Amino acid sequence: MLEQTAMQAEQRVQDPIDARVIRACQEGDREAFRLLFEAYKDRVFSIACYSLGDEAAADDVTQQIFLKLFTRIGQFRGDSEFSTWLYRLVINSCLDERRRQRRFLPVEEFAPMSKAVYRKSPETGYERREIAGSVREAIGGLKPKMRLPILLKYVEGLSYEEIAEVLGCSKGTVASRLNRAHKALAKRLSHLRGELEI
Amino acid sequence: MFGKHVSSLTSAYCHDELSPEQSRRVAEHLISCQRCRGEFEEIRFGARLAAQLPLIEAPGSLWRGIEIALDRNGRPTLTRKHGRIIFFLLQPRFALATLALIVLVVGFAAYWLHDKPRPGGASWDVARLDGAPRIGSVLVNDKAKLGVGQWLETDTNSRAQISVGDIGQVEIDPNTRVRLLETKPTEHRLELAQGRLSARISAPPKLFFVNTPSGVAEDLGCAYTLEVDDAGRSLLRVTLGWVALQLKDRESFVPAGAACATRPGIGPGTPYFEDASESFRSALTKVDFESDANAQRQGLDSLLGGARVRDTLTLWHLLGRVDGDDRAQVYDRMAELTPPPLGVTREGVLALNQQMLEAWKDKLEFNWYDYSFPAMKSLKKVRTNGLGKLHGLEGKK
Repeated sequence: MLEQTAMQAEQRVQDPIDARVIRACQEGDREAFRLLFEAYKDRVFSIACYSLGDEAAADDVTQQIFLKLFTRIGQFRGDSEFSTWLYRLVINSCLDERRRQRRFLPVEEFAPMSKAVYRKSPETGYERREIAGSVREAIGGLKPKMRLPILLKYVEGLSYEEIAEVLGCSKGTVASRLNRAHKALAKRLSHLRGELEI
Repeated sequence: MFGKHVSSLTSAYCHDELSPEQSRRVAEHLISCQRCRGEFEEIRFGARLAAQLPLIEAPGSLWRGIEIALDRNGRPTLTRKHGRIIFFLLQPRFALATLALIVLVVGFAAYWLHDKPRPGGASWDVARLDGAPRIGSVLVNDKAKLGVGQWLETDTNSRAQISVGDIGQVEIDPNTRVRLLETKPTEHRLELAQGRLSARISAPPKLFFVNTPSGVAEDLGCAYTLEVDDAGRSLLRVTLGWVALQLKDRESFVPAGAACATRPGIGPGTPYFEDASESFRSALTKVDFESDANAQRQGLDSLLGGARVRDTLTLWHLLGRVDGDDRAQVYDRMAELTPPPLGVTREGVLALNQQMLEAWKDKLEFNWYDYSFPAMKSLKKVRTNGLGKLHGLEGKK
């Protein structure tokens, strides 16, 4: 099952954007930018939703991220993968937003996102959605240090090396944080052991 | 190598991130070590749980909001035809010719720009409007450049205008002292030490900032005036769009038609509409800046008694700034003026549930805009069409 998930994640993140689209974006081509937006909007929005726990804030942050992206895409030199560069922008923006939210009013960790539309898959049933909801809440309770590698691994399907590059740490640190995050999830959701197909 | 336990490698093992040799050794160790096998089962379960996270679809209205902001940003937009030409030129067979052309153009541009001042670089254009403004000790004749770190000062008879890169303009009134702190594509920042400025910015939110001794004004796409007195107190008055004022953990969102005062050491007060009654405004000053608890209490009573529907702007901000019975009183008055939407409960609001506060704010905002402005009329149309939140984008059509 883990292998299946990895394959799905890989299919999900197969980069539909090639260098020509990025170059056209750097030239200010609005249509190329639209292509880029369509390719990444759900992934960026998902990270923002899971990271902030608030759909409205995720909406605002996603918009800001794409505006920043359009402003800064000229700075992308191709030294790293475009997706790695983009996710660094996403993570920094989400962390900034969390800091900003804390300054204004206390934010409840992961209040229910009732309006969120999950991408449907054939296997999406009531039970699975229930499990996904519990997992989302449990992930919301993790510290950002542990939550971000989980999101980059399971929502974006990045490798340990890519996650390390996005977060600016070593592969070993990524492995260690994922270890701790997996253990924390297993502990918090131990009541679901029987419900997940092993 | 794996005589010791392997639990630190378990996630990497599950994700196939180890070398074949490492994987083989971890597998062998797991067979023989019950403790590591237990940890492996736990981590594998955690990994299976994490794999249940679904991708969430972004709202359909997102692109529209981005497009509106991009249009206002003034970035060059290529047409479909131009786009095709670029794609065509980037084909490998034309790459050499394209490269040669780029080299020629860059060379020509470098020659042409040699010794010329850099427009929109690390300095801003300043135009004299009246009198004799100064940059440092140098008088501004008609035009000059304000570099990062430089002060622009006006005396009682002088005024100046600053071009903020290509995103807007700032007028500097008499007896004002401003300094350029930062200018780059992602951030433009001025410091207003004293006096008054009027800013008109056409850019995505959070690109233009003005630091004052008692708070930072953060542009959310707008026009406003900001003044600072000798004691470092400031007053923000917004004429278009939204401005956020903040200092440390205090933040106020100020829409068009509203104002907000700040005090050194305290930060931004609570925003209020400028058409609010004198008694309402005076009561708010007590609530915001009076140190005596009784005076604050009296101020709150008077403020709640005189609040109109539109003054829910002030009351909404107060919810997070007062506590206990005071917060309950503010809630009750707000609920009388504009009942909360479905799903927003008294308990949730009193506990400062962020989602409920935002949901109520979304409803209240319809009362905060002055729809008599043509720009606001179009905004109302956009909002009622369900395009979602457009904070900071109002009034830019």
